[in-house]
Amino acid sequence: MPELRGSHGDSPTNVLTRWFGTPDLHTLDVYESKAGGYAALRKALLDMAPADITNEVKTSGLRGRGGAGFATGTKWSFINRDSPGPKYVVINADESEPGTSKDRYILENSPHMLVEGILIAAYAVGANQAWVYIRGEYDEPYRMLSAAIEEARAKGYVGPKPMGKDYPLDIRLYRGHGAYICGEETALLESLEGKRAQPRSRPPFPAVKGAWGRPTLLNNVETLVTVPWIINHGGAAYAKFGTDKSPGTRLMSVSGNVNKPGVYEVELGQTFRHVIMDLAGGIAGGHDLKVFWPGGSSAPVLPASMLDTKTDMESLAAARSMGGSGGVIVMDDQHCIVRAAYRLLKFYARESCGKCTPCRIGGDWAVRTYERILANEGSQVEIDTLLRVSDGLQNGRCLCGLGDSAGWVIDSTFRHFREEYEDHALRHECNVGKVATSA
Amino acid sequence: MTALSVHILDEIRELPGKYPQPRSAVMPALDLAQEELGHLTPEAMTEVAAALELDPGYVEGVATFYSLFHLEPIGKHHFYVCTNLSCALRGANEIIDHVKQEIGVKEPDEVSVDGMFSYEEVECLGACEFAPMMRFEHRYHYDLTPAKIDQLIAASKGEKLLPTRGEVARSAGGAAEKPKPKPRTARKKKADA
Ligand SMILES: Cc1cc2nc3c(=O)[nH]c(=O)nc-3n(C[C@H](O)[C@H](O)[C@H](O)COP(=O)(O)O)c2cc1C
Ligand code: FES
Repeated sequence: MPELRGSHGDSPTNVLTRWFGTPDLHTLDVYESKAGGYAALRKALLDMAPADITNEVKTSGLRGRGGAGFATGTKWSFINRDSPGPKYVVINADESEPGTSKDRYILENSPHMLVEGILIAAYAVGANQAWVYIRGEYDEPYRMLSAAIEEARAKGYVGPKPMGKDYPLDIRLYRGHGAYICGEETALLESLEGKRAQPRSRPPFPAVKGAWGRPTLLNNVETLVTVPWIINHGGAAYAKFGTDKSPGTRLMSVSGNVNKPGVYEVELGQTFRHVIMDLAGGIAGGHDLKVFWPGGSSAPVLPASMLDTKTDMESLAAARSMGGSGGVIVMDDQHCIVRAAYRLLKFYARESCGKCTPCRIGGDWAVRTYERILANEGSQVEIDTLLRVSDGLQNGRCLCGLGDSAGWVIDSTFRHFREEYEDHALRHECNVGKVATSA
Repeated sequence: MTALSVHILDEIRELPGKYPQPRSAVMPALDLAQEELGHLTPEAMTEVAAALELDPGYVEGVATFYSLFHLEPIGKHHFYVCTNLSCALRGANEIIDHVKQEIGVKEPDEVSVDGMFSYEEVECLGACEFAPMMRFEHRYHYDLTPAKIDQLIAASKGEKLLPTRGEVARSAGGAAEKPKPKPRTARKKKADA
């Protein structure tokens, strides 16, 4: 049993994590007998037409949990179910956004939930084969998911006639090899095809030309594990959770300077005060909150004064940030924002795939500028350079979102902590006790 | 004589049939090669390319893109220590310092004199609620402390007798001997973009 740090057990809003913590939930036996597993697959295959399944997902209002928040039912309907030839479902289990660990939490606790979600999605969009792209470092989740698929195969749920239905379903695994960019959907497809993971230009979109040139549905792990609940209880029941435009619950991995880091299931529309101060137990060591990243390192930061911002996507957009991957990174007032931003820029620069120039050059340029500032060699010139580099990374100048994310780190930390940047660049001093990273 | 054993090459030749298109086999094939040799030598990549009927330059292009492929030797036991923000906020840099000191190396991917250990600073490993954390021996290790690192090193050394460079240096009462500069292979993705 993996150690549980996060939501589990009976709570009205534990839609996904209700059965987490049940001994041996990762086995088909317990998933079926205790958690009511595979009832949704049976219902979908035997009692519902594919279009009904997609409609139920549309009714639920579920939005993708991988980062972009695209409406899941709508995405499913983009696949032309009746077009001839193979179609694929590809599952994004690359989870590499800094601060994000929710998909690992799901895979380690309830791998059959993902197997069930995948099979339902494949049937709904007219695919017979699904590929899970799982990051290479996830050794244990890989083993658990492989075992779950083999159990489902032995039981006939994966195979030529699942639940007796004449509709072959297969699931295969593909391991990543360490590259953040593989989480970006078109880079993921390139990697799955045995290439360097560099994003494709769109159109064509994956729904038309995805894996191996075929129509492909691409969804995040958490998105698909929500589907069995929706099929069991109905899309309308799901839509009762959360807000009008961001229905449901989502898993938020809360990390950093909190007392109880963990993966918490949160009803959308709750405040970050609830997430950070209640669920994650508040700031550790008697310090104060300084800043948090509300949706992975790519989501623009929010200062402590914005702790009452709500978790739904519209509230976050109004706060000039986003829900992203659901990773909440919390930093206390003992840490320096310039050093934290520098650490993240090093990440984006290192992970740039090199295909488009603004990202390849911009990231390194920002890193060098931060290094001058942190070495007390800065001036107004360095601040201006940072802001110009940031602009050059954004607004569609890059092929994918990686460049924008790097720019947002610079912009948002500067917007909320201008004084600290000026302390460093103009006065060559840091007024914060400890530092987060070595320069 | 081939760099890769005959049965590994046979296994690699079986891989393309498992995918809708054969090229997808390149990474699983490189995995098999790396598992056998510890890292990917030019000979191994050439043999993988031949077995898959691909251009060796293409195979090397893939191998250099992904950080889990090693083109230079690494220690028998390799620490993948996360230093991204959530781990840094909870002491990842002290963990790095401790690892370096205990295995007696100065920089990432440098191998300890006995060939046993090396380390690398990696990006977020998706287990931030257990920060600081690392991947070691195909497992995640959580809530790291210097004592936990010491235990893992001791357990790994159970397999052999030579002391690490750090131990030699400390028992001699002096600083660690200067490590041989080792050419480092940078990820080449940017260079040839
Ligand atoms: C640089 C970058 C990294 C990404 N990383 C991930 C990831 O690790 N996991 C993920 O599910 N989505 C990631 N995404 C989002 C995917 O491109 C895609 O939107 C998502 O997987 C679609 O699934 P969903 O609709 O179910 O959310 C990333 C996007 C970008 C631009
Ligand atoms: S930041 Fe270290 S595991 Fe996420």
